Amino acid sequence: MELVLPNELGYELIARDAVAAFARRAGMPRDQIDDVKTALCEACINAIEHGNSMNPELRVQVSCCVDDDRLVIEVCDQGVSPFAPKAEPLSMVEKVSGFGSLRGMGLMLISQLSDESGFVPHGEVGNCFRFAFQRHRAASLSC
Amino acid sequence: MMLEDELTVSTRERDGVAIIDLVGDVTTFAEEKINSAYREVTNKGSRFVLLNFRQNDYINSAGIAILIGIVTEVNRNSQKLAVSGLSQHFQKIFRMVGLAQYAEIYQNEDDALDGFKRLSAA
Repeated sequence: MELVLPNELGYELIARDAVAAFARRAGMPRDQIDDVKTALCEACINAIEHGNSMNPELRVQVSCCVDDDRLVIEVCDQGVSPFAPKAEPLSMVEKVSGFGSLRGMGLMLISQLSDESGFVPHGEVGNCFRFAFQRHRAASLSC
Repeated sequence: MMLEDELTVSTRERDGVAIIDLVGDVTTFAEEKINSAYREVTNKGSRFVLLNFRQNDYINSAGIAILIGIVTEVNRNSQKLAVSGLSQHFQKIFRMVGLAQYAEIYQNEDDALDGFKRLSAA
């Protein structure tokens, strides 16, 4: 399944609902679908805000496929500069103590909610972030 | 798009606790509403503040960042903060990001009020 979203905050919810329906059809349990939904929204927000720098002319592409073992999601932007997250995000103690931005938790959340995640080479311009979930209750459904 | 008006914030007082009801989505667009409600209860001198979540289908990292800002202010003002009404999923998310270090998480409003009572009696 492939979706192309306008580069505007709020559209991540459209993608979330579509991918959640896809995951349900694939037989994934509800608590894992909640994880998928949160991870997907965070990846889309990163693409919109950082990759595409809030540029309304650009788009975010979400692709989602499932095999016997995994649900794999890719979120790609069209940004001209590579997304460079901080190697070590600030801890909650550091944030509360005022040592930096209160934001910057998206990648950490995705990595904790999914079974694998990271940026992957992207043939064209922009960044591509892939994350995957092991399927627990499999059903047959193609990409 | 459609996110700006997806959160309703209101304040009330019960058993000496300032309750901020958050009904709807907590995202970057919630900042002014949440901060304004917090300022209101703080200006009234509230020592105990409860963020009571309801019908929260969507809380993202930008929304959590707003809540971290509230935690910072709560610490600065020597108040006590708790949260209630979160789904199991968002309770997990709050623990994941470390918010549970700063705000006790309760299943519902009544449990939270009991917790504050124990705290004030101690």
